[in-house]
Amino acid sequence: MGAALRRPAALLGGLLVVIHLVVAIAAPWIAPFAPTSLLDAPLEPPGATYWLGTDDLGRDAFSRLLWGGRVAMLVAFAAGAVAVLGGALLGLAAGYRRGGFDDVVMRLVEMKLAVPTILFVAIFVTGFGQSVPVLIVAVGIIQMMGVVRTSRAAGIVLMEQGYVRAAQLNGESGPVIILRELLPNVADLLAVEFALRASSALLLVSALSFLGLGISPPTPDWGLMVEDGMALLESEPALVLAPALCIATLVLGMNLAAEGLADALGLDAARGGGG
Amino acid sequence: MRWGWMRREVAVAEPVLQVRALCIEWRGADGRANRVVDGVSFDLAAGATLGIAGESGSGKSTLARALLGHCRAGSAITGGSIHLDGDDLAALSEAELARRRGRVMAMVPQNPLASLTFHMPVGRQLEEVLRLRAGLSAAASRLRALELFDQMGLPEAERLARRYPHQLSGGQRQRVVLACAVACDPLLLVLDEPTTALDKTTEAQVLELVRRLRRARKGAMVIVTHDLNVVADICDRVLVMQHGRIVEQGPVGAVFSAPREAYTRVLLGAALRVEEASRAAPALPGPALLEVEGLGFRYARPSLLLRRAPLGPPILDGIGLSVARGEVLGVIGESGSGKTTLGGIVAGLLDGQAGALRFDGRLLPGLARQRTREQRRRIQMVFQDPLSSLNPRRRVGDAVMRPMRLFQGLDQREAARGAAALFEELGLEPALLSRFPRQLSGGQQQRVAIARAFAAQPDLLICDEITSALDASVQAQVLDHLAAMQRRQGTAMLLITHDLAVVWRMARRVVVMQGGRILESGATEAIFRNPENPYTAALLGAASRAARAGRPELAEARE
Repeated sequence: MGAALRRPAALLGGLLVVIHLVVAIAAPWIAPFAPTSLLDAPLEPPGATYWLGTDDLGRDAFSRLLWGGRVAMLVAFAAGAVAVLGGALLGLAAGYRRGGFDDVVMRLVEMKLAVPTILFVAIFVTGFGQSVPVLIVAVGIIQMMGVVRTSRAAGIVLMEQGYVRAAQLNGESGPVIILRELLPNVADLLAVEFALRASSALLLVSALSFLGLGISPPTPDWGLMVEDGMALLESEPALVLAPALCIATLVLGMNLAAEGLADALGLDAARGGGG
Repeated sequence: MRWGWMRREVAVAEPVLQVRALCIEWRGADGRANRVVDGVSFDLAAGATLGIAGESGSGKSTLARALLGHCRAGSAITGGSIHLDGDDLAALSEAELARRRGRVMAMVPQNPLASLTFHMPVGRQLEEVLRLRAGLSAAASRLRALELFDQMGLPEAERLARRYPHQLSGGQRQRVVLACAVACDPLLLVLDEPTTALDKTTEAQVLELVRRLRRARKGAMVIVTHDLNVVADICDRVLVMQHGRIVEQGPVGAVFSAPREAYTRVLLGAALRVEEASRAAPALPGPALLEVEGLGFRYARPSLLLRRAPLGPPILDGIGLSVARGEVLGVIGESGSGKTTLGGIVAGLLDGQAGALRFDGRLLPGLARQRTREQRRRIQMVFQDPLSSLNPRRRVGDAVMRPMRLFQGLDQREAARGAAALFEELGLEPALLSRFPRQLSGGQQQRVAIARAFAAQPDLLICDEITSALDASVQAQVLDHLAAMQRRQGTAMLLITHDLAVVWRMARRVVVMQGGRILESGATEAIFRNPENPYTAALLGAASRAARAGRPELAEARE
């Protein structure tokens, strides 16, 4: 961890993520107004009361901005966790079992690559209803496929190691070998995967909200705010630029942090996620 | 004359290389200086060959690099001088050094594959050296490159020059690298572990080539190695290093026949052990514990269309052998002889397609998961690479306790006590139980792996090259503990190795394998003294060169 902090880019990334997290958690206390109450005339210009003005319904844009990352970040981190846990178990099991099971898993991964992401979520949301848990599962499944591939590759390398062979020779069961021998050795890899997947999930959630497939109004959300502000882009550019900047800085921060983490853990050195 | 550089007369007594009180320090991340080479002084005359021997960590490779004016990142020459051809390398600038590399001094690095550019045909790599260093024209360098390949004993030079490094065998790569190094006829040629990565037969051929080069060249040669057999074979003088200092130096014959220092004797002891009596435990009477009959194995060729893949060439063919209770059977052969595959099949990692295995009178299924729990417990294995055989993320105590809990149903406390007892038997501090593998030395790691195997209380232990990744003095220690353990427990062993000294020491009976077949089998002593098969004789000849260098009376007796 100390090594990660010696890299300025990683430090900046971590700082961005922490700031966003703190703001999102503290939003109910630090926001000057409730994010959903109609306070004043629509489209008031920025001023002392409303720092970023009011939006097209007369809600305080600044308060909405502070609140706007909460649900998106919740979905992104939960989807990242779903992706990493599910992907690691599925990928390691495929790398461990090989044969028919591996074939099925890998064909599923390829199938997902062939279906456009947005279309996949649209079908999923239409089928199961538009709610936060459904969104977490849908985004989680999309992010999972990459994790399956990396952990399968790492698993195949680890299967050649003497300690895995020794466990096999002693007749240890598949789940025991996967959990005891393989999983601890891909922990580094999974930490980095989590940061990357969560960042990519956040971008996806914001895009989905923008398209009306993600988080539903009136929940304050950056993606929704960008969509609402699009019509007023010429007269009130701040209503689009402010939430867009939030999304950009958070995603950038998560990517820089993930890169720094991978660097500090020595994962770029083609070590297959081992020790 | 075929040898271009033979024109000049050999051996002028004037020293080409003078090293005086050389110190090299390495500064770690914590800022503490570490002396890797400490006050080393020696001379080397033109035409002479010096062997630098020592174990890993003795500073021999650092010294070798310094002779080319090169230091690893973080280390620097902090004292003394290296005079080569009149210049002090320690005082030259990087640009001046670069101009001299290849022409005045050249190196053959340890790993030939890593030192060749992987995306360029080997011929072009050599031509590049000739163009840039020797200043030959494109046409001249092409001709000269083919000539050099030919001199290095590489057949069909034209075709070979068009190949990429990965298409060559280990021996061929080493010859290509040698060709690059001698291309400009340097005054000083440094070879870093030139044969470590090669098997015995290839090693002998490459050494023969180095010997020819040595005779033909005017310049001096330095060979860095941990293998005293290589030193005995090729060098005039030897310099033994430990902890960065010179322990002993002198003419090879004098140092090997009357080593003054204890450390030299340890290194020599490891190489000379062939001449010691076998200390293996005798077999117990009764029916055989393991019987292998007509065993055959082929790898399946991967096929896109067929589910049942066709089979490749035979790796094992008609193998038959038996191991009695408590007996240690040595299996020797070069890499590619199929000995590791044999071990893998007996252990249950691979399934043979032909023949049968019988264990304790009952038919033994091929793969470990088809065997009974009791059969799995009774057959255990120790692997070649000690580090990879232990899970880097689990404490070593876990590895030893797991089989006890699995097979003997012990609870955590009992298993911990059992593991501590095993550790003590193997000369390991019980405090090490809570360490992670990386915190242990190679010898300790391998003893932990042995402890894990014995934790299951096996009747048959398969040891696959278990000492080949260890230093000479550590090998002896690990084998001593293994032998003591084997005696106490009466465990039978299948000891797979290319190291004849290990077999001589541990096994009363031996089988010799080549190309997937058993060539010869019988009492170790009889086979080592009077090999019937010419291949066995060649294999044994390669191993006892150091012994002969140290003891002329043996050389006479044998030849």
